[in-house]
Amino acid sequence: MESFKNIEILDLPDITSLTFKKIHRDYLKVLLGSVCLITLVVIVALFVVNYNFQEVLPDFISYVYLGLFLVFILIILFIWIGFSRRKFSIREKDISYKSGVLIKKTTTVPFSRVQHVELDEAPISRLFKLASISVFTAGDSSDDLVIKGIKKTEALKIKEFISEKINE
Amino acid sequence: MNNNSDFTEFSKQSPKGILVIYISLLYKTLKVSWILLFLFLRKFSELSNQKLFYIFMAIGVFLLFLLVRAYLDYKNFQFKIENNHFVLKQGILKKTNTSISFDRIQNINFKQNIIQQLINVYEVSVETAGSKDTEIAIKALPFDKAQALKEQMSVKAMTAESSIIEEEKNPFLIINFKELLKVSLTENHLQSLLIFIALLFGIYQQLSDAFDGLGRKEDFDSYLDIESNAMYGSIIVFLILFVLLFIVALVSSFVRILLFHFNLTVFIKNESFEINQGLLTKKSIILKKEKVQSITVSTNPIKKKLGISFVTFKQAVSGKVNEKKNKLIRLVGCQYHQVLQIKELLFDFQSVENSEKYNSNTYFKSRMYFRSFLGLLIFNSILMVVLQNANWLWFNLILFPLVILLIRLKFKKTFYSFDDEVLLIGKGRIETHIIYLPFFKVQNIKMKQTLFQQRKDVVDIILQTASGKIKIPCIEKERATQIYNYTVYKVEKSTELWM
Repeated sequence: MESFKNIEILDLPDITSLTFKKIHRDYLKVLLGSVCLITLVVIVALFVVNYNFQEVLPDFISYVYLGLFLVFILIILFIWIGFSRRKFSIREKDISYKSGVLIKKTTTVPFSRVQHVELDEAPISRLFKLASISVFTAGDSSDDLVIKGIKKTEALKIKEFISEKINE
Repeated sequence: MNNNSDFTEFSKQSPKGILVIYISLLYKTLKVSWILLFLFLRKFSELSNQKLFYIFMAIGVFLLFLLVRAYLDYKNFQFKIENNHFVLKQGILKKTNTSISFDRIQNINFKQNIIQQLINVYEVSVETAGSKDTEIAIKALPFDKAQALKEQMSVKAMTAESSIIEEEKNPFLIINFKELLKVSLTENHLQSLLIFIALLFGIYQQLSDAFDGLGRKEDFDSYLDIESNAMYGSIIVFLILFVLLFIVALVSSFVRILLFHFNLTVFIKNESFEINQGLLTKKSIILKKEKVQSITVSTNPIKKKLGISFVTFKQAVSGKVNEKKNKLIRLVGCQYHQVLQIKELLFDFQSVENSEKYNSNTYFKSRMYFRSFLGLLIFNSILMVVLQNANWLWFNLILFPLVILLIRLKFKKTFYSFDDEVLLIGKGRIETHIIYLPFFKVQNIKMKQTLFQQRKDVVDIILQTASGKIKIPCIEKERATQIYNYTVYKVEKSTELWM
């Protein structure tokens, strides 16, 4: 235990003193946009059903609309709060990501354990020239690290950087 | 070198392989069609002779077809060794040609199922790093040829493994039938029982589906109903049922242990374990030191009395394969000094066992109480609604103390401690599991904090290794950060092979 503390004070890189960088602002638009899109589809579907089956529908249909609206607001709120908490940081030897509203998570993956890196562009993200970086480790690691919403140019640089580190 | 071990030309498996392939084909078809067969046997007397004749004809033709298929499978399965590659040609209509470089081969394992045991051939499986598709099994080789093949592949690939062929030394651990009996007594019988029930349930489901298809589900259900109605409500019957279940659990524990671990023999060679075990399917596994990600030493009160503990090795899993079971290697019935030897071989553990043990924060206990009582409450309310009476409420008098006891045990047994190299994590309720995880095996580390945990300033730490997750629940944030930082530091500094 004694030696443990010694190292800790002297030269252990500290995760808490790390400066994390926020992901790109435009990604909020992507998130909100896709939620709005899905909600729109649901509402249109509901309208069509409502219009065609007016006699059969129960009276409480308006509550369904209200509930839907509340869920929508809640999701938007979560995205809003959650968005400012999505942060990442890249050090010489590892990559870290923080996120979460109700459950706060911090993950660090050392480059020496990375098997490969992936760069993905989702349809809406592409409109804003955004990309996501996924880092994979070996074995049955179901939740490795994914950072969504980085400018594509920056993401390419990060990918390049990590790839170099892996091959070292 | 005799002809037997020359692999430069394409060679086939032993002709006995036809039988092995044939039976495995038969087994596969039987597995999907046993319901049909069962129904056929039930209706046997009702069928006219002519129909019977046709049915037998069809079965005969089908069996013949399978035989031809097995023969063709055998005929078209050829392999050779060519400049440090293992080359395999297979396929009847769709020919595939696989070539594996020796340095991608991780393990070469021998296996014998019951048929292979009877005709004395070995199945050789070649395990590669990466995807599941490249896993190769040669179904039937005589022992000397199998050994020679392994020798040639491993000598060239991994010099360290060359001495595997050397004459057997004294086994490190050998568990005979009597000891196995003892071991099975100490098993988690509840788990065995559940597995057994799941098995039964699966069969019931299939049967009931079959009856359903014939529109005779009522027959089947009513038959079961009569049985269960007669029993309902009597306490003596409950007691008998309980004893019966207990016996079933014991027997299924024993059968399970016997099937998997029969004749368990372990050798230690060149910093790797060679493990042989199995009754119907004999398996021979070679476990290299660096592939072991973590080990778990488990005991429980009965095991302690008998002076044995189980050691479970966790090996790196290749790809996202759903074969975790195969990668879990369990040595049942290790004596104390054997456990020591295993630990000694793998890492330096002395100091970690002597260092201070830390418990989880008491929040962990509160959380478990909260969750269990909520669960019980929901369970009770659902029962109330479903049964519409309150006669069964006394049941809670047993359930609640039990839950409280289990939670207290779990909290007491959850601890962690560490030294410079190894992290020690204890868990368990009735069983005591102690996990040994060298820091440098970690692949990524995660810190998790819920809103409730934030108020108490505690976090969960989740360490991800190549063989799965290991969690330390609810520890003070300051200490967690230390562990987090130290783990990251250790992983980044280490130059050792971790898998």
